[in-house]
Amino acid sequence: MKNAHRKFLSAATLAGITLLAGCGNANTITFWNPLTGDDGAYMDALVAEYNETDPEFPVESVITADMYTKIYTVMNSGKDIPDLTLIHADRVPQFADLDMLEPVEGLMATNTDLSADNYLEVAWNAGNYEGTQYTVPLDIHGNAMYYNTDLLDKYDVNTFLDDDVVTIEEILSLDGKLDEGQYAINNALIEWVTLANVVNAGGDISDEAGNPTINTDAMRSVVEQLKSVADAGLMSPYGEDGYAMFQAGDVLFSTDGTWTSTAHGSVEGLNFGVTNIYSVTPDKFTNRSSAHLFSLLNNEDRTDEKEQGIADFLSWMRENSIDWAGAGQIVASKEVFESEEYQQYPQSFFTSSDVEKEASYIFDYKYYSYVESALGTVLSDMIYGNITIDEGLDQAQKTVEDLIAENAS
Amino acid sequence: MQTSEAVSTNTNAKGNKKKSFQFLYFIGPHLILFFVFVLLPIVYGIYSSFTQWNLISDQTWVGLNNYKTILLDQDSTFYFQFRNGLKNTLLFVLYTIPFQILFPLLIATVMQHKGLKFKGLFQAIFYVPGLVSASAGALIWLLIFNPRLGPMNNLVNSDIVWTAQQPYAWIVIFVMSMWGAIGGNLIIYRSAMAGVSEDLYEAAEIDGAGAIRKFISITLPSIRFPLFYTFVMSTAGAFNVYVQPLMATNGGPNQSTTVLMMYIRNLAFGSGESVAGMASAMAVLLGLVILAVSALQFYVMTKRSKG
Repeated sequence: MKNAHRKFLSAATLAGITLLAGCGNANTITFWNPLTGDDGAYMDALVAEYNETDPEFPVESVITADMYTKIYTVMNSGKDIPDLTLIHADRVPQFADLDMLEPVEGLMATNTDLSADNYLEVAWNAGNYEGTQYTVPLDIHGNAMYYNTDLLDKYDVNTFLDDDVVTIEEILSLDGKLDEGQYAINNALIEWVTLANVVNAGGDISDEAGNPTINTDAMRSVVEQLKSVADAGLMSPYGEDGYAMFQAGDVLFSTDGTWTSTAHGSVEGLNFGVTNIYSVTPDKFTNRSSAHLFSLLNNEDRTDEKEQGIADFLSWMRENSIDWAGAGQIVASKEVFESEEYQQYPQSFFTSSDVEKEASYIFDYKYYSYVESALGTVLSDMIYGNITIDEGLDQAQKTVEDLIAENAS
Repeated sequence: MQTSEAVSTNTNAKGNKKKSFQFLYFIGPHLILFFVFVLLPIVYGIYSSFTQWNLISDQTWVGLNNYKTILLDQDSTFYFQFRNGLKNTLLFVLYTIPFQILFPLLIATVMQHKGLKFKGLFQAIFYVPGLVSASAGALIWLLIFNPRLGPMNNLVNSDIVWTAQQPYAWIVIFVMSMWGAIGGNLIIYRSAMAGVSEDLYEAAEIDGAGAIRKFISITLPSIRFPLFYTFVMSTAGAFNVYVQPLMATNGGPNQSTTVLMMYIRNLAFGSGESVAGMASAMAVLLGLVILAVSALQFYVMTKRSKG
């Protein structure tokens, strides 16, 4: 009796395991993305909507916070490489040089709508490295400056917004005029603001030979100007949460991101608008941006049929990603951002004219991440006077040079 | 009389003595996990420290170059990062370990008192913070220390920006760490103290010993092995500190709270190309420091017990 019981249990277990194994559909497109938080919920909804169209190759969206570490692992082992991945723009040069990416030209050949003409230029170009197109864009997302309309009225400075560029000079004109506990700007994403203003000042973070150029006059001038704003008491203090202070109604201009519009919108009593990041000059404004790009990691197991399935999914996304705007992103698909429905979103401001489109700047320097990280380590200390600007820029320059020298590729 | 041994010998049907390997069923699973998830990565990490590697391409053997750069090249960023990181890590260990032993010890002693009610409740109150995820705890402590909204500043009418200046930044990290660390050692000390015979205390009382005398001469020696264990484990854990400075101060102000693990992680898993060989070398050096400290602790504690 006991024996029969045992045999039955093992048979049942075996059958169960077989059934479960059968559940892993070979036709499923595994799609990895790093969209944690609300973003991920929007993406999941979009993927579910696509799967409802009953495609031959349904998509399985896998959200991982640590996606890039996991990508290294699977590329090393060669097993379980995802079919489709959503990566950031600054990864493209690095991944392409390491032969990790398959160009999307195959997808473009079968689905001709996946072409430069149908997408925001800066988003499409972000995936183009050394003449090869490696990605199809989903969106660009970047630095955006929100302003508190009530405070602008209170201090009578609505004129700042006249030419769509608020200058540091205009900000400094508020010196001594603000109530105690209120500030003109905060230090949210101050690295991005700095990098964008280096471009405004006519500089760059690299030279033609590909060397990093952080310790430059343009960079020094930008940091000095930011420091002068902090010294005048117009920047939210070091260590305080400037983003929360903006939401509390104590900051005129908050330099955070396109994706925070939904969070700001949910704050009761906060009346705000969005504009370009403030600039060191009235002649130019730049909003440092990045992009979410669909890419194909090199994977021998991915069949041509599955690639066709991926192409179909991307074509569908191109036509139907209006819901992605709900996450606060600047949707890259022309059909979407030119649609009437999209104009209701605050981020439509950034595609409202050619000048605006050109202001969204994606750095394509191969070692951009090193520059941003090294600058970020010393920037607040320079602005708030913990170290001198020379010390900070020297350190950042040396850090990036040393990292590049240690690169294995 | 039969004594129980890990390996028992039974006489089988043929009359030969047969060794039983039943113990393997008990320690086997852990051994396998230890081998796969601890030993192999350690060996591979040591190997990586002698290479130049970006986690994707093949490793390139560079011998002792990474170590030379970290330890000898004074102009190098990695030299600075290792020294600054190790210095801050050592400071963290010095600030927290004495209290990570002392506080639970004192609390356990107090809880030994027969008249104290609700011992279980107090123990739970001290232990639960250790179960909370360090990141979640850090977020809550940041709110408590928030200059504008937090109870800390509002109750004492202060406007210190805790995470932006020293020594307040270290104070925040210290408080965060203590809150989570006390419970674990407390349980160990309580259980160890419960095993000390009451007769010893009674005899000491008869001889006229006071509370402090009893603590030093009876309690401490009786619990010296748990004490030693917690001392070594807590120290090794403190050397691996990562979450508290990352969440509380992000290494600032002016990299004065950037601990070595933060530099190591950024080198290996930062947003640019990985410099995993250099990161592995730093990690090996940190491991050697922990080994040296543990050996020193072992020497001091066992010398004491013999003396």
